Amino acid sequence: MNDDRSSRNPATHLKREMNTPCPASKVRAGSRRAFLAIASWALAAHGSLVAGHSQSAPKWDASLVTLEATHQQHDHFQPWQRRSRTVQKSALVVGPRELLTTAEELNDLTVLRLQKNGRGKWVAGKLEWIDYHANLAVLSCDDAGFWQGLKPAELAPKPVRENLQLIRWKNGTLETRKAEFNQFNVDDGRLTFINHLQMDVGTEMNAVGWAEPLVSGRKVTGIASAQTGNNVRVIPASFIAPILDARRKGGFRGLGYFPFVWQPTENPEVHKHLKLDGESRGVVVIEVPPVAGDEPVLQPRDLILQVEGFDVDLQGFYVDPDCGPLMIENLATRRKFAGDEVRMKIWRDGKLLDVKYRLPRVEYSHKLLPEHLFDQAPEYLIAGGLVFQPLSNAYLRGFGADWKRVAPFRLNYFNKENPTKERPSLVFLSLVLPDPYNLGYTDGRFLVVDTVNARKVSKVADVQEALKFPQDGYHVIEFMRSDGLRRMVLDAAGMKAATDRVLRLYQIPAAESILKPAGSVALAR
Amino acid sequence: MSAFVVALLPGVHPLAAEEPERSVVQIITFSQTPSWDAPWRFDSVRRGTGTGFVIRGRRIVTNAHVVSWARQILIRKHQDPRPYLARVAFIGHDCDLAVLEVDGADFFSGLEALEVGELPKVRSTVVTYGYPAGGEQISYTRGVVSRIEVQPYVHGGNRSFLAVQTDAAINPGNSGGPVIQEDKVVGVAFQGTPGLENAGFFIPPPVIQHFLKDIEDGKYHGFPSTGARFVPMQNPAYRRFLKLPDNAVGARVDNLFDTTDAAKALRLDDVVLQVGGYTIGSDSTVLYQGNRVQMAVAFQGAQHGDAVPVKVWRAGSELTLSVPMQVSTNDTRTGNQHDTPPRYFVYGGLVFTPLSLDYLKTFGRNWSDAASSELIYNLMYRRFESPGSSRPEPIVLTQVLQHPANANFRVPGRALVDRINGIQVDRLEDVIRALESAKGTQHVFEFMPKNTLECLSREEAEKANADILKTYSIMKDRRL
Repeated sequence: MNDDRSSRNPATHLKREMNTPCPASKVRAGSRRAFLAIASWALAAHGSLVAGHSQSAPKWDASLVTLEATHQQHDHFQPWQRRSRTVQKSALVVGPRELLTTAEELNDLTVLRLQKNGRGKWVAGKLEWIDYHANLAVLSCDDAGFWQGLKPAELAPKPVRENLQLIRWKNGTLETRKAEFNQFNVDDGRLTFINHLQMDVGTEMNAVGWAEPLVSGRKVTGIASAQTGNNVRVIPASFIAPILDARRKGGFRGLGYFPFVWQPTENPEVHKHLKLDGESRGVVVIEVPPVAGDEPVLQPRDLILQVEGFDVDLQGFYVDPDCGPLMIENLATRRKFAGDEVRMKIWRDGKLLDVKYRLPRVEYSHKLLPEHLFDQAPEYLIAGGLVFQPLSNAYLRGFGADWKRVAPFRLNYFNKENPTKERPSLVFLSLVLPDPYNLGYTDGRFLVVDTVNARKVSKVADVQEALKFPQDGYHVIEFMRSDGLRRMVLDAAGMKAATDRVLRLYQIPAAESILKPAGSVALAR
Repeated sequence: MSAFVVALLPGVHPLAAEEPERSVVQIITFSQTPSWDAPWRFDSVRRGTGTGFVIRGRRIVTNAHVVSWARQILIRKHQDPRPYLARVAFIGHDCDLAVLEVDGADFFSGLEALEVGELPKVRSTVVTYGYPAGGEQISYTRGVVSRIEVQPYVHGGNRSFLAVQTDAAINPGNSGGPVIQEDKVVGVAFQGTPGLENAGFFIPPPVIQHFLKDIEDGKYHGFPSTGARFVPMQNPAYRRFLKLPDNAVGARVDNLFDTTDAAKALRLDDVVLQVGGYTIGSDSTVLYQGNRVQMAVAFQGAQHGDAVPVKVWRAGSELTLSVPMQVSTNDTRTGNQHDTPPRYFVYGGLVFTPLSLDYLKTFGRNWSDAASSELIYNLMYRRFESPGSSRPEPIVLTQVLQHPANANFRVPGRALVDRINGIQVDRLEDVIRALESAKGTQHVFEFMPKNTLECLSREEAEKANADILKTYSIMKDRRL
């Protein structure tokens, strides 16, 4: 079971919530004086900031720059409103006019600036490529002068465990701190629901997770993506390097993944039931959710015995030549991309089969409730004061860091359901802006729409279209069967005037924000 | 509303009573509740106290929650040192009322029955009589009727009835005691609300009378319900859509989620105009003895088996229906269950029991956070959303009693059972049938939601059964 896998993973708790405020030293809104005070304290407490930085160490200052990104944040509870947020992160020179950083907080970007040496002049940067699922971005800069004195750093092709250091610019000084290897594991990334290789290291450095490079000797062994206590989560260079190479060659098709669900099979009776010959081994597939366009290769009750030539043990681990025991999900992203084939040996109906599993490209739309909605204004439609929005985890996160507990149970529970061809996504009535037109409905909220004027609804655009077809002068809105309200009826002729009144009264700039049918979200550029 | 029952301190002639306290008794109970996740077991015996009062017929009225799960009930009369043994004659967990009978011919001598009066007026003065915390003797508190409306009754947990709020102190131990006005009982003290000062609640005469009338035939049936969800009908467009006159009358049937005959008589989009003698307001309320309260009160006067005349607006005209009223038991598991210990079956160390609110509470105070969403959804939501796929009695594997025969069984418990040996588990009897009629060498279990698979050797499980029951001190492998 998926739950079991994540609960077994000791690093699951590492995740930094998206809404967690940026560390003070990374947010521009702080005072410079405060920065200096913190820096002085840090010096006093830890001695030399370059402790452990030997004379033969590489000149990391020639490869590390600071970036400052300003991006828009959307208020999903009032989707017509937005705020601005500025963060500072690290970026690493990895090629000619090529800077590597994490994707986090680079969505809906409005301003990007770059700075060398941790101080001085800022120059305009530009986003060349971003992949949210991989949590990686490549930046560049048109200012030729910016590149003078900068040298690409080398990514370690294989995971490194020894002589680890985290580095970053801090107040014009390159801060270097020792890090100690804790473990490799396969867990979901910061911005995705798929599992890929992660590395955990311990360090005394605080407020890490903003793409600070983890280095060993002269090579970069990963970039930091999150921190909990002294434990830092790092995206390993061995995961990053093949992606960058493929991108440079124009061959990166996005990450692929295993959408099926398996369970460990520690119980020999299960193997007996599945008529497995020989020693107990492998894991059993229990769910194969439909993924658009792909014929399922696996079936429930298949035993996965081998993946890419690696034997699969009873807990779903294989022995990785570089990292040791890892969960088989890693083999979907270990130098593999969407569309690539993964070789498997499976046991089905008492027979051994060799199959090739073609990796589907990971998309937020594969889930009934998309995890994120990046680089697009949130969709909404206001009709007579009724506010319709797509149901997504981006919306539910608006309930705060504890959203999984606090958000309405039933809305959250849709995360347990798979999208279907008939209902690939959901639209719900998020609130009613009171107006005489909608009298009697003002308590209506969190109701998932089934039909509008007898037309099935799964996108906000469907609501807009259906409202063109009133029934005998009325709009009839049916909500999905629940313990809440089932139906609302509105006067079709009065809707436009009511919408206009509501926009004026509540100071809302537009009645709608709807993606054009062809304008799907650009998940990777 | 988050409320609490004030009951238990972890501790015959109509009367125009000049001294009502002589007819008010202290009730001492020794009760034992089951462990819902180890359903063969009972928790420690707890002592509690409450209050009751004598009514005609040599009986005592108190709250159901005072005497539920009681192993022994003792009654103490006013200023009488002797304890008397009593037993529950009738108990209504939905309305939190019970009638007790007392052993001992001389118990009622000198006691006069209190008479149940009318619903008191808001702002009028009432006096509570009871044995609350803080002393041994009877206590009196005076207060006014603050308001009268429909409130959740927390003992049952999933029913709401008319209740009266008063600022007279109602504290633990007061439960079941009479609230007196002009020498008549106008209420039975029963619950309070944490955080609300000077606010206690008592059960008013219409609910008490309903209960007493219900038991006249020797059996308590309960309050019938319609199985329909009524919503206000205040939007002008919706009223025009249904060609309903533009006035302040009518509540719309928005959902039908029960299989009662009442639910069958009504239709979606019926607008209920009148129930019995009560006109239904467009905010889905009725004017009940001068108080505007939820329209459910208009139906709650009916007894199980009665038919209530209901005037509805259907398809553009008025229609009078005779709506048969029945007690619904479909939602028993979503409320607090009392006096009937949980059903269970133990096989090969696997403990199966029905999913219920009481079971979910075994996850702790924050059970709604701690229990899996699958369990909560199946108990609380599925029957509303997809009655067709809702199982009559979802079954949970609560735990696996460790034994070599099941040592490799990986699902540790707290999992919803889907199928056993290919048989869909709709109720506990299906578990027993699937396991006891199996012929193969293995039992195959599938759990929701993702068809997690587990197997058990039939031979080893059957061999282990007696040993497991003995090891874990389980007297019987099942309670049905």
